[in-house]
Amino acid sequence: MKKLDRVFENSARSLAKRTSRRSLLASLGQLLTGAALMPLLPIDRTARAQEPARPSPDEQKCEYWKYCAIDGFLCACCGGTSTSCPPGTQSSPITWIGTCHNPADGRDYIVSYNDCCGKVSCGDCFCDRNEGEKPMYRLSRNNDVNWCMANSESNYHCSVSVILGVAEK
Amino acid sequence: MLLILAAGIASSWAAAPTPPLPAEHLTIATVGPKSPHWVYVVDYAYNNEIDSRVWLFDGDTHRRIGQIDTGFIPGINLSPDGRTTAVATTYFARGGHGTRTDVVEFNDNNTLSKTGEIVIPPKHAHTLAMLFTIGYSSDQKFVYVPYLTPAASFGVLDPARKKVLSEIDTAGCTLVYPWGPNHVSSICESGRLLTVSLDAQGKESGRTSSEPFFDVDKDPVFAQAVPLKDGYAFLSFLGEVHEIDFTQPKLAMRTPWSLVSATEKGTWRPGGVQIGAVHGSLNRLFVPMHKGGDGSHKAGGTEIWVFDLKSHQRTARWPLDTHVTGPAVAVQVSQDATPLLFLATEKSHLLILDAQTGKLKHDEPSLGQTPQLLLNP
Amino acid sequence: MIRAAGVAAALAALAASTANAANPAQDYALNCMGCHGTEARGIPGKVPPLANALSRFMRSPEGRNYVLRVPGAANSALSNEQLAAVLNWLAVTYDSSASATQPAPFTSTEVAAVRHQPLLSVLATRSAVVHNLATTGPSPPPRY
Repeated sequence: MKKLDRVFENSARSLAKRTSRRSLLASLGQLLTGAALMPLLPIDRTARAQEPARPSPDEQKCEYWKYCAIDGFLCACCGGTSTSCPPGTQSSPITWIGTCHNPADGRDYIVSYNDCCGKVSCGDCFCDRNEGEKPMYRLSRNNDVNWCMANSESNYHCSVSVILGVAEK
Repeated sequence: MLLILAAGIASSWAAAPTPPLPAEHLTIATVGPKSPHWVYVVDYAYNNEIDSRVWLFDGDTHRRIGQIDTGFIPGINLSPDGRTTAVATTYFARGGHGTRTDVVEFNDNNTLSKTGEIVIPPKHAHTLAMLFTIGYSSDQKFVYVPYLTPAASFGVLDPARKKVLSEIDTAGCTLVYPWGPNHVSSICESGRLLTVSLDAQGKESGRTSSEPFFDVDKDPVFAQAVPLKDGYAFLSFLGEVHEIDFTQPKLAMRTPWSLVSATEKGTWRPGGVQIGAVHGSLNRLFVPMHKGGDGSHKAGGTEIWVFDLKSHQRTARWPLDTHVTGPAVAVQVSQDATPLLFLATEKSHLLILDAQTGKLKHDEPSLGQTPQLLLNP
Repeated sequence: MIRAAGVAAALAALAASTANAANPAQDYALNCMGCHGTEARGIPGKVPPLANALSRFMRSPEGRNYVLRVPGAANSALSNEQLAAVLNWLAVTYDSSASATQPAPFTSTEVAAVRHQPLLSVLATRSAVVHNLATTGPSPPPRY
């Protein structure tokens, strides 16, 4: 959380100098709940090595709600999860974006489908869904191309789907 | 005594000499004379993507003739004279990783041997199996290769002298739809086609943009256009057919017509990877159709619908039995007078139908891992 | 590093955009961020940066014209109002230029007048525009 956090931090500090703590919190609260103002985007979520993957059974199935526009092997079946690349692979800095409906809470979420790169095809849990997907002339919504293309190691291994934020209309 | 006699007779029969098998000679099979019922089957091998290949299959003998290796997410096409298969592909120095080298390889279709290559920038567009990820000019002087980095452009190559002549920036428009000796079009998000013309050295001599002919938000067209005698037909997700005449200097859009009736629209849709094929002299268009909604554009066909290109009427509707084979994701038709219809299916079968009656003539199970594009010889 | 003036402007821009129900951060994420990146830095040699670039293009009429006609802008699904909001938000949020003056924001009128003529040759145009800008103040990188 870089730029947006810093914007927020700086504004919080300058506000704090002039206002009481209580009204500061009220102002921040207003900004936070105005979801159109304060989405979770854009943020830098490129993968850094975290911990062993513990994928849920749900995220190893093609029908999982987050996979509504995925095309490829589910990293959750390949040593990663829906939000982590398997060990030894690199995430793609470029990606395609989908909007998927979560039936559990009734919200639409913006999802980033990064590829994990640098190894041969995982070969397990192939899933190809295309809600809102468009042909490659609209690249930002296309899941056919190899999104590892801009990596130094551009072989394709598997795909993740990372929630970026709630879609507002 | 009788036993010994019998044994004696038996052993002498067993010993009666049949001539031994002669020594054999190891040879290399030949491809044999070309048949219009051949089909090149492109297998992207999704589970092992660096190991894609093309099978040349004989639609009459139901025999594999041979294989062309095609690397990682290739673009494949035949030269206009049918003698060469050109492959734009990617190799990594250590198999699955290491320095990336992109090449265009040329294969002699008479021997299925590689005869040469051109090293290109490591930018070949890695995308769906389409007829438009490598192409030839009509006189075979140029080969065009789309690049995607993700910026879009294409390379112009000289196949005779094995050189890269130029790279043309296409302002976000993608793929190569060649026409004539020196025109290449690319398809744009704006609904237009950008057409670049080239000089004798393969450098750009000019470019024009067509009027928009589709709306990507309301009803996108498949980038997998269907080649016609005089241009290309672009099918839309909802079943509209946009035929475009490429023969004039300015692209001419014919009035769109529909594959579906008003009641069928939105329910029955074209879908798959290779979503249409035309028989030139019979003037028939074959389309794999499925029932589905938004987001189903890659679902294969459960039926093949046949259309008369003159009257735009549907002349036949052939349901497929897909419970073993899966739906049809690619369609192609041989161009002779007794044509065969080829279908590649989701479960890797190659189905061969009589293209005039729809009768199933042969089901070849397991032709490749993920066959998705079919080319005529 | 964003200075206080930039912060106030960013918040003001966001407040204004809320009033119009435009959501530039979301529009950026859905339509541009996939290639231009979470920090709007692009990819060297492959995708042009918007950070420390876009606001500088906006300093000159030909730079503004260029920005509105690049394929990502000209062909995008965003309305004129949304496109103006995204560009203005990017210009304010992602520039660490020492220049104290921010460029005049785009209006939807300015966007509408220009964007439906996509550039035919993007790289050639960019090169020429950057060359001219470099003579008059902070300019986008000539290469990326």
